[in-house]
Amino acid sequence: MTKVAQVGLVRGVSAVAGRELGNYFDSKIAYVYTIAFVVLANSIFMNEFFLTGTVDMTGFFDLMPLLLPVFLPAVTMRLWAEERKQRTIEMLLTMPIRPIQAVLGKYVAALALFALFLVGSLPIVFMLSALGEPDLGLIAGGYLGLLGFGAMFLALGMFLSSLSSDQIVAFITTTVVGFVFVLSGNDRVVAVLDGLFPALTLGTRLYESFSVMPHYDAFVRGVVSLPSVLYFGGLSALFLWINATVLERHRA
Amino acid sequence: MIVVENVTKRYGAFTAVDDVSFTIGPGEIVGFLGPNGAGKSTVLKMLCTWIRPTAGKITIDGHDVVGDPLAVRRSLGYLTEHNALYENMRVDKFLDFVGKLRGLSGKTLNDRRDWVVEQCTLDEVLHKQVQECSKGFRQRIGVAAALIHDPRVILLDEPTHGLDPLQVVAFRDFIRGLSRDRAILFSSHNLAEVATISERLLVINRGQLLEDATLQELGDRAAADGHTLEDTVLEIVRGQGARS
Repeated sequence: MTKVAQVGLVRGVSAVAGRELGNYFDSKIAYVYTIAFVVLANSIFMNEFFLTGTVDMTGFFDLMPLLLPVFLPAVTMRLWAEERKQRTIEMLLTMPIRPIQAVLGKYVAALALFALFLVGSLPIVFMLSALGEPDLGLIAGGYLGLLGFGAMFLALGMFLSSLSSDQIVAFITTTVVGFVFVLSGNDRVVAVLDGLFPALTLGTRLYESFSVMPHYDAFVRGVVSLPSVLYFGGLSALFLWINATVLERHRA
Repeated sequence: MIVVENVTKRYGAFTAVDDVSFTIGPGEIVGFLGPNGAGKSTVLKMLCTWIRPTAGKITIDGHDVVGDPLAVRRSLGYLTEHNALYENMRVDKFLDFVGKLRGLSGKTLNDRRDWVVEQCTLDEVLHKQVQECSKGFRQRIGVAAALIHDPRVILLDEPTHGLDPLQVVAFRDFIRGLSRDRAILFSSHNLAEVATISERLLVINRGQLLEDATLQELGDRAAADGHTLEDTVLEIVRGQGARS
């Protein structure tokens, strides 16, 4: 008999992440999504840049909360829904790994693809550096905010993908929930909700305790605060944990 | 190696598996026979830890499927009912992926992959994507993945599905070669295939285990009744045969 080792946390996670990353590139998803994201984000930024003529990336970072709730669900929608539909989930989850290892493996792969999206926007930084003296600290803060934003949305999308065997349903639910997180931080939405429920000040409450925007905006302003780090990290961890729990419950 | 004690699986009011008990020891190849929807796959899904029994106890290689599922999964190789595979993975990469998840690495992984590729004659499709492979090759890829870690307990759900008669014979020889110190349970709804491969038969229908006998015993009973083996099994399934 062959000696079979226990599959440690990192080994299990890296095996799943490797397969998922390979799948992104083998199925051309990585190329299509990255090119679409980079072309769209950069072209919208360039339009803004020529209008304002300022050497900063504020326009780019302001745009991202509206683009990412569409792009990131496209990355996560298939992660569990496809496993369910193709019935490969039974094979994967009867391997000697814990569900959380499978969840983290897929998450790491999705994060890596998102990082590739962001790398595609680096020419903007190089261009601004060549044209003037942008505040690189502010830009770094913006990218950190994007990473937190993306990490949370990817975890949310994976969790919602685990609830369905239909990728379209996973995509739509993640996009809708994602926009709720974003729009609850919009001034007009806050004012409307406060107006509709003045006793509850619902809009303000949602903005302060639920919305992603105050935390993301803090990063974009160059403020790396503990509450914002905990918000992104905590919600990401929560969604990943619920995802693993959903998979475990599936065995009942 | 496989000990199933009074196992029941219910989905609400529906009882999919009803108080099933059997034991399979090392060196045994046991066929699990029953019509579609009889409960074969449900039993196999409980054995491989995919679903939990509602009542009863299952032990695989000494490990409880509910209490220590990871140890159970390390001990067994499992070919799923629909043999679902990652369609756009290359066959060699798929086997490596499964091997890594099974705890193999380095030279051991390479040696084991080469062994299953040879045994399952996968050389010609090794660098193809799974979706490009024929049904017979896909079935062999699934079997190769189930065996890559040299498991002590092997569960195969409809392993001969999609194989032509020559491949079934080759598969029988292959499985028999494996069986010396392993417990092998495979399901089928085809008596001829089960009789070709296994030495012992479990007959299940409507979630109840109707028969647990060797093919020799069933053959003797059929001869005594002046029936064919197929008639005897059909009588058992229809509830007309006497329990041994």
